[in-house]
Amino acid sequence: MNKRSHSIAFWAGVAVFLIAVLTMTQIVRNEYPFFAGYVILQFIALAVAWSILGGYAGYVNFGTNAFFGVGVYTAVALFKATGAPLMLQIAAGAVVGMTLGFGVGLLTLRMRGIFFSIATIALAIIIETFVMNWRFVGGAAGIQIQRPPVMAPFDSYVKMLFFVQALLAVTAVSIARYIQNSRIGRGLQALRDDELAAECTGVPTLKLKLVACMISGGLISAAGAPAAMYLQYADPSSAFNLSYSVSALAMALIGGTAHWIGPVLGAILLGSTQQLLAVTISSEVNVLVLGIMLVLFVVGAPKGIIGLLRPRYRLRAGGKP
Amino acid sequence: MKRRTFLGGAMAVAVFGQGSSAFAQQPPIKIGMSMPQTGGLAGGGKASLLGIEIWRDDVNAKGGLLGRKVELVVYDDKSSASETPAIYAKLVDVDKVDLLFAPYATVPTAPIMPFVKQRGLLLMGNFSFQVNSKVGHDMWFNNAPWGPADSWAASFLDLAQKAGGKNMALLTADQEFAQNLAVTARDVAKKRNIPIVFDQVYPPNTVEFSSIIRALKAAKPDIVYVASYPPDSAGILRAVNEIGIGDSVKIFGGGMVGLQFAAVMSNLGSLLNGVVNYNTWLPEKSMYFDGTKEFFDKYTKRAIEAKVDPLGYYLAPFGYAMGQMIEAAVNSTKSLDQKGIAKYLRENEHKTIVGPIAFSADGERKETATLQAQFRGVKDKDIEQFRSSGKQVILFPDKLKTGELITPFEAARN
Repeated sequence: MNKRSHSIAFWAGVAVFLIAVLTMTQIVRNEYPFFAGYVILQFIALAVAWSILGGYAGYVNFGTNAFFGVGVYTAVALFKATGAPLMLQIAAGAVVGMTLGFGVGLLTLRMRGIFFSIATIALAIIIETFVMNWRFVGGAAGIQIQRPPVMAPFDSYVKMLFFVQALLAVTAVSIARYIQNSRIGRGLQALRDDELAAECTGVPTLKLKLVACMISGGLISAAGAPAAMYLQYADPSSAFNLSYSVSALAMALIGGTAHWIGPVLGAILLGSTQQLLAVTISSEVNVLVLGIMLVLFVVGAPKGIIGLLRPRYRLRAGGKP
Repeated sequence: MKRRTFLGGAMAVAVFGQGSSAFAQQPPIKIGMSMPQTGGLAGGGKASLLGIEIWRDDVNAKGGLLGRKVELVVYDDKSSASETPAIYAKLVDVDKVDLLFAPYATVPTAPIMPFVKQRGLLLMGNFSFQVNSKVGHDMWFNNAPWGPADSWAASFLDLAQKAGGKNMALLTADQEFAQNLAVTARDVAKKRNIPIVFDQVYPPNTVEFSSIIRALKAAKPDIVYVASYPPDSAGILRAVNEIGIGDSVKIFGGGMVGLQFAAVMSNLGSLLNGVVNYNTWLPEKSMYFDGTKEFFDKYTKRAIEAKVDPLGYYLAPFGYAMGQMIEAAVNSTKSLDQKGIAKYLRENEHKTIVGPIAFSADGERKETATLQAQFRGVKDKDIEQFRSSGKQVILFPDKLKTGELITPFEAARN
């Protein structure tokens, strides 16, 4: 298939997916699939957004929880101050996330590899401490939120959130796909393989890194923003939970970071396994199962699911992970 | 969890064989809940669950509820607020449980409050703190003995003022529960014109408290109110032991989480002496009601197998009491109608193994039954000593009182 028919297939897939999601919200009456599905879609958005910086550019960001929590608390603060609607909360979350991403992007000027990763962990702790002491949004005790009435055509707020999160996941995937196929993606790949060589051959590395950080950060925060309305509660330890970072990273690695479909597959696999284990085994064993899955993939399939499925991606994903 | 449910059920059937034939005709009554079984709250969650499981086995041995067997549907919420909405949606929409119990603690409970309110469902609370104050759900009933929000600080300050305390130092962890306590403590102190001479909030995960305790000592307070979490509670007591706290201190403690758990208590041993701290149940003579002794006999045996807190005073009997209240309400109303059960729970006083329970309009206890007790004569490295009375003398509430406060704090430490 050529590039054009690839594109047609992709957008047709997106349209079918969104129509299916919308139909589901209208037909299915049982609410549980929407609660569980929301979480899986949220992880798709997180994993894809993470891989824009972590996969394409090779800058491993452990601060997914910082961006996620910033999204949550931007929404909370805005809702409490002005009662802003959901879409505005998400947009504000994205803007604040991008601003934070710009800051993180500047960090990459001085820090690479493990030092960059540690700095992003520190970032999460700093922001969490700040929120803990911000009484307006509940501080350390957390804050309960009353949802506004639901908008047509949805009959419950959770169904609406499910659809909104599907839109966010699609947005994240579309942007990741665009970047992968564009000059930005090739530039990022070059700087991942050898930043110095890329700089010497005229790749504007700083500009690219800033763009990647801002897009990745903005998307993660946007995906986090509806969580406040989903939980109707926000507390710093849940919003800035390190498990968001670990999960996003694990999903991207398990799926494979060389292609946008990798994190999507990883998030679907790991996200649904988590949801399933939570209501079946439901004990310490589910943590163990996830751990074993990670180890198996790291050992058996270092390039993730896409590496297993299509050997040609092994070549394209060459260089540093 | 299914395996444990199955084993529990099988055990009940094996021991009380005659009950099983009656159960066979009707589907079981399902009670759904999430419980922290992994993560930070898991220790408490497992003990609480064991208390509920003992109630289930007892009630099934008596023939169940409305002639139907009681079954628990339990999922792990990993101590996190983000897990519970999906779990409770599944319990209600997929598992179609008849009744809901809340998970242990405030954080996992908070996100499900709006959900149960919107759906008009009864929720039995499990040791959360003021989680209904903003939601205002009229079918919420908390099993914890907390009572009105300010009673916690008020009871401690009552004791302190009686002992001659005139000013207060506050030492609190920067976390949800401790900050809730700190806010009420400041309010009560203000109302009673007790000046706060030292007010320190420390970040969670602080391990070294010597500089904080030195600063506190320098402020020469009469009353030291501490709201802390298990690791810091231990750190604070160690620092107090090394540095001393000064002769001015009349009373020390109040809201230290951790000093209710067997592992922490046996670890700290004699460092506990003199501390006045909150508790929920203690093996003092005033705390034994109908069935309390039998419950702890069963708990002590099963705790070893379930690998939970060997004493189980803090949470387990209240899990059992939660079941007892549901049992009384279902048997009296002779139905599973949640509105009817809620009405019954609101309007009556309930006899439980932790004493009589009556609810106020917000679903919390009408009167606080949170104990303030002073540690005395505690030796090092001995869990069994906490099973005998006299190690934690109850000072508050008056009707459960088993002794007087020894003051000042330094005198009580010996």
